[in-house]
Amino acid sequence: MSEAQKDFEPKIVGFLCNWCAYAGADLAGVSRIQYPPNIRIIRVMCSGRIDPAFILEALKNGADGVLVAGCHLPSDCHYLSGNFKALRRVMLLKKVLKELGIEPERVRLEWVSASEGDKFAAVVRDMVEQIKKLGPNPLKMEETEGKQP
Amino acid sequence: MTKQKLKFAFYWAASCGGCEIAVLDINEKILDVIQIADIVFWPVAMDIKYKDVEAMPDKYIDVCFFNGGIRNSEQEHMAKLLRQKSKILVAYGACAHLGGVPGLANLHDKKEIFEKVYGQTFSTVNPNNVFPQPKVHVKEGELEIPEFYDTVRTLDQTVDVDYYVPGCPPAVERTLFALEAIAKGDLPPKGSVLAPLKSVCDECPKKKENKKISRIYRVYEKVPDPEKCLLEQGILCMGPATRGGCGARCLKADMPCTGCGGPCPNTPEQGAAMISALASILGLEEEKEKYTEEEVEKLIEQIKDPVGTFYMYGLPASILRRKVIRE
Amino acid sequence: MAEGKVGAVLVVGGGVAGIQAALDLADSGFKVYMVDQSPSIGGVMAQLDKTFPTNDCSMCILAPKLVAAGRHPNISLITNSEVLGLSGEVGNFEVKVRKRSRYINEEKCNGCGLCAQKCPVEAIDTYNKGLTDRSAVYVEFPQAVPLKFKIDREKCIGCRTCQEVCKANAVEYDQKDSEIVLNVGSIILAPGFEPFDARLKSEYGYGRYQNVVTSIEFERILSASGPYAGIVLRPSDGEIPRKIAFVQCVGSRDAQLGNNYCSAACCMYSIKEAIIAKEHVPTKLDCTILYMDIRAYGKEFDAYYKRAQEEYGIRFVRSRVASITEDPATGNLLVHYVGEDETPRIEEFDMVVLSTGMQPPKNVEKLAETLGIKLNKYRFCQTNIFTPLETSKPGVYVCGAFSSPKDIPESVAQASAAAAKAMAIIAPERGKLISVKEYPTEKDVSQEEPRIGVFICHCGINIGGIVNVPEVVEYAKKLPNVVYAEDNLYTCSDDTQKRIREKIEEYKLNRVVVASCTPRTHEPLFRETVREAGLNSYLFEMANIRDQCSWVHMHEPKEATEKAKDLVRSVVAKARLLKPLKNPTVNVTPVGLVIGGGVSGMTAALELANQGFEVHLVEREKELGGHLRKIYYLLEGEDPQKHLQRLVKAVMKNNRIHVYLGAEVTEVSGFVGNFKAKIRLSNGEEKQIEHGIVIVATGAVEYKPKEYLYGEDPRVVTQHELEEKIAKGEFNAEKVVMIQCVGARNEERPNCARICCGQAIKNALKIKELNPDTEVYVLYKDVRSYGFKEEYYREAAAKGVLFINYSDERKPKVKNEGGKLKVAFWEPVLKQEVQMEPDLIVLSAATIPNPDNKHIAEMLKVPLTKDGFFLEAHMKLRPVDFQTDGVFLCGMAHSPKFIEESISQACAAAARAATILSKKALEMEGIVASVDEDLCSGCRICEYLCPYGAIEMLEKEGKTVAHVIEALCKGCGVCGTACPTKAITLGHFTNEEILAQVRAILKEMEVATA
Repeated sequence: MSEAQKDFEPKIVGFLCNWCAYAGADLAGVSRIQYPPNIRIIRVMCSGRIDPAFILEALKNGADGVLVAGCHLPSDCHYLSGNFKALRRVMLLKKVLKELGIEPERVRLEWVSASEGDKFAAVVRDMVEQIKKLGPNPLKMEETEGKQP
Repeated sequence: MTKQKLKFAFYWAASCGGCEIAVLDINEKILDVIQIADIVFWPVAMDIKYKDVEAMPDKYIDVCFFNGGIRNSEQEHMAKLLRQKSKILVAYGACAHLGGVPGLANLHDKKEIFEKVYGQTFSTVNPNNVFPQPKVHVKEGELEIPEFYDTVRTLDQTVDVDYYVPGCPPAVERTLFALEAIAKGDLPPKGSVLAPLKSVCDECPKKKENKKISRIYRVYEKVPDPEKCLLEQGILCMGPATRGGCGARCLKADMPCTGCGGPCPNTPEQGAAMISALASILGLEEEKEKYTEEEVEKLIEQIKDPVGTFYMYGLPASILRRKVIRE
Repeated sequence: MAEGKVGAVLVVGGGVAGIQAALDLADSGFKVYMVDQSPSIGGVMAQLDKTFPTNDCSMCILAPKLVAAGRHPNISLITNSEVLGLSGEVGNFEVKVRKRSRYINEEKCNGCGLCAQKCPVEAIDTYNKGLTDRSAVYVEFPQAVPLKFKIDREKCIGCRTCQEVCKANAVEYDQKDSEIVLNVGSIILAPGFEPFDARLKSEYGYGRYQNVVTSIEFERILSASGPYAGIVLRPSDGEIPRKIAFVQCVGSRDAQLGNNYCSAACCMYSIKEAIIAKEHVPTKLDCTILYMDIRAYGKEFDAYYKRAQEEYGIRFVRSRVASITEDPATGNLLVHYVGEDETPRIEEFDMVVLSTGMQPPKNVEKLAETLGIKLNKYRFCQTNIFTPLETSKPGVYVCGAFSSPKDIPESVAQASAAAAKAMAIIAPERGKLISVKEYPTEKDVSQEEPRIGVFICHCGINIGGIVNVPEVVEYAKKLPNVVYAEDNLYTCSDDTQKRIREKIEEYKLNRVVVASCTPRTHEPLFRETVREAGLNSYLFEMANIRDQCSWVHMHEPKEATEKAKDLVRSVVAKARLLKPLKNPTVNVTPVGLVIGGGVSGMTAALELANQGFEVHLVEREKELGGHLRKIYYLLEGEDPQKHLQRLVKAVMKNNRIHVYLGAEVTEVSGFVGNFKAKIRLSNGEEKQIEHGIVIVATGAVEYKPKEYLYGEDPRVVTQHELEEKIAKGEFNAEKVVMIQCVGARNEERPNCARICCGQAIKNALKIKELNPDTEVYVLYKDVRSYGFKEEYYREAAAKGVLFINYSDERKPKVKNEGGKLKVAFWEPVLKQEVQMEPDLIVLSAATIPNPDNKHIAEMLKVPLTKDGFFLEAHMKLRPVDFQTDGVFLCGMAHSPKFIEESISQACAAAARAATILSKKALEMEGIVASVDEDLCSGCRICEYLCPYGAIEMLEKEGKTVAHVIEALCKGCGVCGTACPTKAITLGHFTNEEILAQVRAILKEMEVATA
């Protein structure tokens, strides 16, 4: 690992559903469970609202990781089955990302309930660690190296 | 009163040449074009040099139809030159519009492409590993060929584009629509794609009933019911996410749409739109409580060559534009 | 006096219970007068720092309720006032109220606080329990509702400085007390409680030793808005304590004082205080709780207790504290106590917190006399097991701690329940005295450039203590389209709402951004505020810089500040694109569906019917009654079977209630106000009904023990089986051993089953009644006879029932040795194992979730707890609501509970349901999907994705296009995300808005790290 990578602080964008994952993230706060400040959360009502284009746009704009989090399978979804849609969309997108040379691990799908503040914090901690191992989003490197027009 | 004739130019960059033919697909209507316009530059049909174009005053050309993407320095130079010399620059056809099929080369970079083409194909004998160089010194002096880029770009990633005529190649009605609008001086706002707003589905005559699929077939694996929506029969059709205006010509021949019309006007990206749509309906029938992540994995595995499916024409125009290749 | 019944209710007491009752009544079409002695509402909850078992910030969850009550058009707050007299009768009372002078004109005071700043007097701050000073002109706390100042004339020196500085000319030194007369149909008493005066336990040194504080003082010490700004300090020397003792049962369970009751909430609040103290103290802090029994009997409480021990390392010592003395040199305290082994010990602590119990409120005798209600022997309001909400005077109801000590969720449930009772007797007068809230005409801002105002909250020090709020404000000012930004101590306070409205006017703001806590709790409040300022309520957006920033990055102030900037920037980027949305309205079917025909379901059905609504009551068994059918007697002596018969009769003969026995609800579709359910009847036929709400009252079941030879040896029975034996005269044992916590408080089910201690005491007493010579041993972990049930525990002990503690490490052992039933257990005083040969072993088997819960939860799309009980919308403040609108719960489906508690919850669910059923139409959420028909190509991908069937395909001009049925749309956005042409847009979460957020959230992060 290079010096630059050791000091590298990943930027993670989180897309969280309002009812479970976002509530779980709130609970982490209420319970004062500490986690690294690398994540920025965008609230959507349902994980079924998370468009693959949002994830691509985040990666393009330099996100080193993207967290998609919704209600637990199979039946926690406040909207019944939005989480299934999210699951299939993200899995298919990850397949595409792999072909496009982006580590699929940068995009992480997690199910976090409203009572899992600790899990949310653990997911963020783990994700930061994993992405530190992966290094910065290669799209950022490309931009500076000129391969990307 | 005789109106002054318009000056047209046609140019061919990184494309197959089909778009050049497509211009002629308008058949006898080409005579009408001649009535209203003089063609001042058309390398495939006329003997004219780049320096003649360079000599033209700026904005001398009224409309330049530019087909093909930008993959080398010559194409980039000509794009810039024609932009300078033209009042209206039209990205004509999928390659100029979206990068097109040559844009799939963005799954590789220059090094990989050269190694394959000049080194690893069966018919190639290149024991000294000689690869094309932009500049070569020979005893007569320095030879220069265009520089090959790592990445194919669309025309509008290179220069400002006024209009787009989609299609691979553009359907006759799209070309006519563009020509008529130009002739009448009745053009929509700059930046418009000269095509209807709706997707191919709107023009597709096949019956749409129930979009819940769980089994995916490649075209050769199934003889579809010609009356029914191909996607509903498990054949991947990009029609829902592809801007129409082609008259659903492929579907009328019972072949699925592959997406040459590009994204619909509201979509951030055609590929992502289809990924989202397809993933949404895939396995919908049995969704309730049945799927485990492993089972979903199996469903998804049915989709072979996802980039080739979702980005056959649009990889350079997509959000990520190309594959990341690390040394 | 008006003729006939009056559609107004008087609520006495403005604590959380009073507020809840007032809101439920006002939302159901009744005028409410709320009288409180204090200058502002909020009661004790406003003084608390956090609440158990979720550690929610008390003020944060209460403030929206305060504001809602304060701004409700049908609630008149009459603060600083007291009830003087009552005349008239049920349905039409006249109440005389004295409004004590504030010396400040309430109409004129805008709460700016300049007077308090300039006041030269330092008076005792009662909100902070005398730990700090305040000025003579004051409000109790920053979020006070109403935010009207008051002059404390006892302290005021009459310098008139305040009068000079008051721009509003609100100061009126000569203001006199006044009397008003209110005409109401019914009355709810919610005067709350008074903390026990710890001075009366002089041996604990409170009042003599500075470092002995009461629990409520300690709450203030913990609070960010408290005397030490949330830093735990010793009052004597301002040092950070290293060792704190919590002494339980101060003023409770105390025969000497005559307080033979348990205050029901102290164990939990002490655990909470210990946990929070440990979180607040940066250095090592030892917390020790000196207790008799840990009464963590509520929902999820034991899990919290366990966390306190395992995660936080809080020490629990079963003991009795004899006295406390001070080391004058250090101010440290020597706690003299007797441990479990009866050995006296002395231990030194830096600080002692006395967990003071609940007492009836001051001057309660006077209130009782004025109103003509009876008090019990402890001077709490007298009620009956089957009528827990009724006082002795018809038309006067009671809720909260005044009827017995209780914690917040139970007070809130009782408050709703009392509201149900209070509105039932005046049901025909519904809607006659209320005014409808008028909003200013909505401004059309569609042609304007976005002009964004950003309000950034310090949340006391919750945010401001970590995030550099002024820096974020300065940053926000530079963001595109932001024309105004400021910081607030509490952006949620009533005065800030006013300020936001003023700034909208002043700066012609057409978008508002608040950066504070979570939109999940506070978005409705701010949306309402912008609406009151003439903006569409969707031109508002929130950044969560507390729950998801300052609270989770407490040790990284710099990074937290940068993150807050990113979050604000992202939300501003979205705000620039926000569009106004319309709220569709839907009609309400004024019919209820109650699932479950036990005592809860029947009570809920009756309450709804009493209010004039039609009810369908579905019971799976062939008979009504549920759990109650197997209860033959009660601790308190009443006959449960008689009550059951009365209840069944009342239900069966009520022509508004349709009872389906042997039936099951198989499907529920639709949404609040417009549900459709399918009921499979006993004859196999299916019936479809339409209804506006659902109440889940499916009860719970008794655990069938697998332990202690149950099912193998007929001499091992459960408490229920014992009760049946006794009731049928089949009981004849001479030596009985009862084992508590069977199937509860273990690995599989970590929580307490609440009612088994009461059951054991009940049966033990019954056995003693049958034959005083029968030996009864109760092997327990903690005796959890909370509230007034403590009396019976004492009685049982007095009658010779032996209570012997056991721990998880030394569980009793039961075996059958050659036909002899033997039980062995550890005797903690003798410190040895004892073996016995009882005739009967009675297992206090836990009450566990109904196995049907899972199926019902899925059908209704409502959540369950880890244990398998239904999970309410909010553990503290929404005990009988589900997150899903129009679905409510009550009784043992919620968690195990005693019959009076089930009755209260059932009435509460009915009151909550009435807030919906009483309306002709409901205004729906404006965030719905819509289809742009110019883009829709009729591909039908969306059609089957919608789980609510909100998408239909229409034929228009020969083309097929999708259409969204707004009333069915829940706003999840699944359809629009799938739509391959993006013809479908979800309002407020459009592609453009979210993509702008994505770009903005990342854009300057690079700059920040560079």
